[in-house]
Amino acid sequence: MTNQAIVRLEDASKYYRQGKMDIRAVDGLSLEIHKGDFTALCGPSGSGKTTVLNLIGGLDFPTGGRVYLEGQDIGLLSRSRISAIRRDRIGFVFQAYNLIPVMTAYENAAFVLSLQGVSDRECRDRVMAILTEVGLEGLEHRRPDEMSGGQQQRVAIARAIVTQPAIVLADEPTANVDSANADSLLRLMERLNNESGITFLFSTHDQRVMDRAHRIIKLHDGKMESDEVFS
Amino acid sequence: MKIRKMAWRNLWRRKRRTYITALSIGFGVLLSVTFIGMADDSYTKMIDTSAVMGLGHVTVEPGGYNETPSLDKSLSDAAGMREAILKMEDVNDALIRIMGQAMIASANKSIGGAFMAIDPDRETGDLNLFIRSIVEGELFSGTAGQGVVIGSRVAKKLNLSIGKKLVYTTTDVKGEIVSEIARVTGVFETGVSEVDGSMILLPIDRVRAVLSYKPEEASLISVVIKDQRRSGRMREKIRSRIDNPDIEVLSWRETQADLASIITLDKAGNRVILILIGLLIAAGILNTLLMSVMERTREFGIMMALGMSPSTLFMLVIMESIWFAVLGLVLGTIITVPWYAFMYHHGIDFTGMIGSDYSASGVIIDPVMKIRLFRESALWILTGLFTLTVLSGIYPAWRAGRVPPVESLKEI
Repeated sequence: MTNQAIVRLEDASKYYRQGKMDIRAVDGLSLEIHKGDFTALCGPSGSGKTTVLNLIGGLDFPTGGRVYLEGQDIGLLSRSRISAIRRDRIGFVFQAYNLIPVMTAYENAAFVLSLQGVSDRECRDRVMAILTEVGLEGLEHRRPDEMSGGQQQRVAIARAIVTQPAIVLADEPTANVDSANADSLLRLMERLNNESGITFLFSTHDQRVMDRAHRIIKLHDGKMESDEVFS
Repeated sequence: MKIRKMAWRNLWRRKRRTYITALSIGFGVLLSVTFIGMADDSYTKMIDTSAVMGLGHVTVEPGGYNETPSLDKSLSDAAGMREAILKMEDVNDALIRIMGQAMIASANKSIGGAFMAIDPDRETGDLNLFIRSIVEGELFSGTAGQGVVIGSRVAKKLNLSIGKKLVYTTTDVKGEIVSEIARVTGVFETGVSEVDGSMILLPIDRVRAVLSYKPEEASLISVVIKDQRRSGRMREKIRSRIDNPDIEVLSWRETQADLASIITLDKAGNRVILILIGLLIAAGILNTLLMSVMERTREFGIMMALGMSPSTLFMLVIMESIWFAVLGLVLGTIITVPWYAFMYHHGIDFTGMIGSDYSASGVIIDPVMKIRLFRESALWILTGLFTLTVLSGIYPAWRAGRVPPVESLKEI
């Protein structure tokens, strides 16, 4: 872990209106995520984990406070600029894999590179290298419905890291896979963190994720309950 | 992956729906080709038939003749002008004629009618409907310039037959009443009762002598061109070539104003039908694309989360509508070609319903409905349906680009 903050939340809040009630999904949260972190956000359902990831990823906007990504206040950026930041600086791994069904493993992994306008040749080199790294060599022509859950999640990880983002936001990445696959995926992400210095921020209930995390931030009712760093 | 490739694959997520939608576009091609092709064919036949009934596609005549036709109005150098016109591109022929009103009498009866004086050495059935429609006898044969070919109903009214004599009375160039005897050499039957009941054909040299016209003098020059669609352009070309303020050059739209009105009215009706067809097709495509967008809200959310911009997402859906258009037009062409071939060569015969002598504004209408599509009409249909399909994609594409990622990711 270095001291360079990639993400900074300053008194960030997110309220939703549900009927006549205000739901405080995130309530005055301040935290920093540093380059090279392997951090888990945990807490019970409704504690605000996914909302925090959405705020950091520019998928949602804070009702109060500020969210900075690499020093830029996300709340002040245009829609197209946020799209560009998501494309170039953030990798997403979703609980339900969320691969695009009409694309092969290769095409899914290459999707963001094609949005970036990377040349076909460079794209091929980078995607094949990543697919090999995540253990999917030889499966690049398969479509999502021809792969297991674990394999799909590996494609999702490949898609998230192929652009060398500043941070990978992983929302319950092990929730939909069996324990063998979950262990394997975690080892993969841990290795990517150790060897390539990729920053990971997880939202999770999974004890296996928490066991591997270098830092655990516990949330409760949108507030930080604890923030523990492990050496 | 390129947007166009992704859009193409998206089309095949629901094959049946895609085929049905593409077929609806294809059906639109078939209907449009049928309606526009029938119109192209029937208008051309009507205009060409009208042209060979006397006035041509373009008429060169003395000033004021069209409003008040009279034998004292004439072209003094019709032969010279004809030669100049014949040198022009796209001219099939230029025919010198004298046309006027006459009393036609047999031994015991007379009727009011009209005559058209023609040069028998230059005119054939190809460009003269009356010669083409001779059902008995022939054109001015063996009569030393005193032959006449009469309409079948004139023959009936005046109790005339081949070899019998008639007298036609008219006014000459000075306004004096003049008469001449002619012997019937032929009878024509165009199928248009008012024409068959009033028209006679006479040899132009004889009529010139009767009317005291000079050898090169005539009422008009009837210009028949290769393609009736160029009549407006041809009128302008002839006008600039002749360049004489005392001479009028008119297209069939001016000399056959009734026919032009009928065609304009019919075109307007066809346009309404085509707009309705277009709206029905557009509604189908809009429905398909909108459903397809609504089904993929979550996927669009993911794409946006991964960094796809709203404008790229918009373009993706527009690209899908472009593929729909291409597919629909290809399918449309496949189903339309055999239908077109049948309708072009054989058509549908309505003789049993409307008879063989159906006419409008004095012009015979072919009871066999055929299709003949002009190149510009085909291009118009393809461009129109393509544009309509792509335009139908705009709203769904806009909806796709407005998907809020965080909301759509919550969707199951």
